[in-house]
Amino acid sequence: MHSSLSSIRLAGLAVTTGSVVRDFLADGLAAGLDRAALERTAKMVGLRERRVAAAGVTALDLCADAAERLLAEMGLDATSIDAVIFVTQTPDHPQPNNASLLHGRLGLSKSAPAYDLSMGCSGWVYGLQQAALLCSQSGAARVLLCAGDTLSRLTHPGDRSTDPLFGDAGSATIVEKTGRSAPMHFVLGADGSGAAAIRVQQGGARQPSGPLTERTDAEGNRSHDANLVMHGADVFSFTLREVPAALESVMRHAGYAPATTDALVLHQANRFILSTLAKKAGFAEAQTPMAVVEHFGNQSSASIPCALIHGLADRLEAGPLKVVGCGFGVGFSWGAFAGEIGPLTVAPILMFPR
Amino acid sequence: MTPSEKLALLKQDVELFATATPETPLASLPDWGSLAILLIILHLEEKHRLAVAGSRLRACRTVGDLLDLIP
Repeated sequence: MHSSLSSIRLAGLAVTTGSVVRDFLADGLAAGLDRAALERTAKMVGLRERRVAAAGVTALDLCADAAERLLAEMGLDATSIDAVIFVTQTPDHPQPNNASLLHGRLGLSKSAPAYDLSMGCSGWVYGLQQAALLCSQSGAARVLLCAGDTLSRLTHPGDRSTDPLFGDAGSATIVEKTGRSAPMHFVLGADGSGAAAIRVQQGGARQPSGPLTERTDAEGNRSHDANLVMHGADVFSFTLREVPAALESVMRHAGYAPATTDALVLHQANRFILSTLAKKAGFAEAQTPMAVVEHFGNQSSASIPCALIHGLADRLEAGPLKVVGCGFGVGFSWGAFAGEIGPLTVAPILMFPR
Repeated sequence: MTPSEKLALLKQDVELFATATPETPLASLPDWGSLAILLIILHLEEKHRLAVAGSRLRACRTVGDLLDLIP
């Protein structure tokens, strides 16, 4: 689905990460793995350090910290927020939703709706499209979008295909209505037939609880039903099939070409996937921030805002930049966007608690 | 394309096949694992325009089994 939303702007970005630093090489050596093999993997996938949430810290806490810092940085009162959208698949509780908990914590106005989107790695783009829709079509002047997850808690330490990858983070993005007419373009889609390739089997209504019997797959990776399990080969095939096409489509709608676009900002899955996608889409590596994974890990729905800040903060503050991006992942969903971002307020990437 | 031509092309893209023959068991290759599978998927897509399900790749036991996936 394509949508083109005008009279909106991104006004601010902030990201808060978990405070526990995990080192890929040290963790691998401690697990008894071969140093040379670990170094080859580290180089290809771009794994070095990641930041995970400390015990008791949730995506809500990380997003609340990012939101509070961003509002302070922008000099905004929480009551000026007209709606809050929370993108997460690791909410504090099955009920109530994280957005309402954040609404209460920040002291938002009762006229401001608060709702969650259950999306993962593509989720920031979905949230941005929703926030843009509220500003462009529904009378909101300012929307707070929070997107974050604590996926590191869901992986089995004996699953080498997932456990070394994920970092925990929460992002806050302020979207505002503005007189500016250049639209932001979105292309959103899903291939639900493949949705089981990334899953946590237990914890929902279909399988609320049960024995956590450990399995070992053909490659020796261990997991149980409450773990995040990912079929990497199928996820990679899906990504190669859908992301270049979504980028091409959104750039066609926006009238953008790689040579005249300032940056390609993708979900920071890993360096290998990002360099492959950049090449396929016709972008140079210099146009494509891809260092988030080696500093913070794969942060799910917080990774695109983190890449915008980590790779482009100074240029975005001076703005505007023509940016194309795409989130992709769980649910076999994707969301691509193209439009001008900046000038905007950027709060630095900080850990929580500090 | 003959099996040896397919293997020569594969060796250009995926280093770990450097000394492999069609009879080589995949599990005996150093670095065989999920990353190698990603490289093979990319090779099949870019050089052969082929999308192969992960389950078919995981079912391969030898290098020859992999080459048989290519028409």
